[in-house]
Order: sequence, then structure tokens, then C-alpha cells
Amino acid sequence: MTLIFALLVGIAMGALIQRVGASSPRMILASLRLENVSIIKFMATTIAVGTVVVYVMSLWMPMHFDIKPTYIVGVLVGGLIFGTGFAIGGYCPGTCVVGMGEGRRDAFAALLGGITGALVFTLVYTLIQASLIKPLDYGKITLATVLHMPALVVALALGAVLLAVVTLVPTERRARAARIGR
Amino acid sequence: MTDATLATPIAARRTATALPPWATLGIAFGLVSAAAIALYGPIGVSGTYPRFVGAVLRRITPEYAAANPYLVKMGSLVTTETMLVVGLLIGGFLSSWLGRSRGPAIETVHARETTRARRYADAFAGGFLILFGARLAGGCTSGHIISGITQLAVSSVLFGAAVFGSGMLTARILKRGY
Repeated sequence: MTLIFALLVGIAMGALIQRVGASSPRMILASLRLENVSIIKFMATTIAVGTVVVYVMSLWMPMHFDIKPTYIVGVLVGGLIFGTGFAIGGYCPGTCVVGMGEGRRDAFAALLGGITGALVFTLVYTLIQASLIKPLDYGKITLATVLHMPALVVALALGAVLLAVVTLVPTERRARAARIGR
Repeated sequence: MTDATLATPIAARRTATALPPWATLGIAFGLVSAAAIALYGPIGVSGTYPRFVGAVLRRITPEYAAANPYLVKMGSLVTTETMLVVGLLIGGFLSSWLGRSRGPAIETVHARETTRARRYADAFAGGFLILFGARLAGGCTSGHIISGITQLAVSSVLFGAAVFGSGMLTARILKRGY
């Protein structure tokens, strides 16, 4: 049953990513170059709504939370590598799959690159484990545990800050917006 | 004053009250992401790539696959995450088909992408780096940035800051090509 739920979540997510233009490498680069930040605003709105809804729901029902461990070196180095690749190709691991569904041929090249990257990571895992993954591991910590505050309070504050930022910051830089479209 | 000049503010007011697409679609995605956590668990994508690699290697070199600690840790391809990735493909297809925007032209993003082959090379190189980086950090845009920050994970906030820091810097260094 959970497999069916996941398939439906994937279909909805794929459709939303396609509609907002996040599967377009040009829209990704327009966001990273701060020319048109609508994709960043889309992500920030998603997080704001999601965090408030899950922590309000958690008051009444058990939620399937799964917090990722904070091993500082690996998370930061991985993030820096990810950001570089994100800017070079204009795809992330999910948007290239959506792009393939949409019929983008370069999305398939990104997917093949991704499979190769995952293969290389698999081959070097034991070599980098000790230096990049094991050190400075603080385990499954959240902003709520670090700040010693109830999760719902932190979620409401985070949601409010993100919504304020997406409302106040302009989406487009005028001069270049016309050339990007959408 | 003509009718045309009077009509302009009314049109402007109408567009100002309607939410922009990123807001309505973002609210919808937030509800979908919350529904996933309520029903089975947070959304994620990048773990599917090494699980796929594992499924292939278990056929080609079963001994190596069984001895590789990372493939053992990631496990079988039969997971909710694989179903989600299949859904992404279907969702992207359906949405572009219904919106009559299937098969868009290849978009160049950097000035050096002067030929189709160079665009493919950038897409491949980008794909390689995002997966290597995501597996090192333990998640990607959906697992870390969307559902990780939704769950207030410190690791995901650090990952998001690193991604946008290096992403914006790299995008600035590479000359725009669109």
C-alpha cells in the first residue's frame, strides 16, 4: 500500500515540478544567477507549508519522520559538489527524471551522468568513509533540539520567515527577465 | 481621461490579487510533501541511483555486490523511493502532455555550450556531480532541502546553504548562454 502512495506522490510531484518549470535547466540557472528566482521561491513555499502542516498534524497523529544525520564534513563537501553540478547541468536527481518524462533529451544525459556518479561513489565509499563520513557526526539533530524549543514553535517561525522572504523579495530582475520567458 | 487608461488599474489589481504560479504550486507541493510524511515517510530521490547500480552489479558481479558495504546498506530497489521516481517520470509526461508542452527544445545555459554535444557534456558532468555530492551528503534537493528542512534537520540546512553557495558561485563564473 505504501508503494502505491509513493507512486501517487511521485506523479503529483512530477507534475508540479513540470508545471512550475523546475525541470527546465534555464529556469534553474536563472534562479542561481538571481535573474528570476521563482524556482527558489517555489521551494521555499513548499518547505514553509510542509513544515507547519506536518508539525501541526503531529499533535494529533503519529508522523513518519526520518531525520538525516548531521556529519558535518560529508554534508558540507557533498553540498558543495552538488551545487557545482547543479549549476553546470541545470538538473537535480529528480528534475532530470521529470525532464525525461517531458521529452528533454539532455535530461537523459544528466541521468546517465547521475548513474555514473552513483557508481563511482559506490566504488570509493570505503576509501572516503573514514575521512568524510565518520568525522564530526552529531547524529539525527534538528533545529528544535539544538535551540531547546518545541518543534512546532520552530516550524511556525521557519514558515513565517520563509513566507515573508518570498513575499518581500522581487521574483525577477527587470532587465533580463524578458529574455528568459515563463 | 480615456476608457483605456481607466481600465489599466483594474487589470493590474486583478493580477495582483491572484497568487503567482510558484506560490500556488509551492503550496500544493508542501501539502504533497506533508502527506508523504503522514502516510509513509519523507520524499527522496537520489538513493534510487545507487540502488539501481546495486541491482545491475548484483547481476554482473554478485560477489562484489554482496561484499560492497554501501550497496548492502542501500539495499533492494523495491522501495517507496523507487516508486516515487517512477511517478516523477509519469507525472512529467502527463503534465507536459496535458499542457501541450511535450518535447521542448534543448535549452543551453552556458556560453560554452555552442554545440549540442557540449550541452550533453554539461548535462552529463552536472548529473555526475549532483549524484556524487548527494550520496556523500545523504540526500538531494528532495530528501535534504525539501523534506529535510521541512523536518527541521540541521544537516539539511547545512546542505542547502552549501548547495546554493557553490551553485550561485559556479553559475556566476560560467558565462550565461541563453
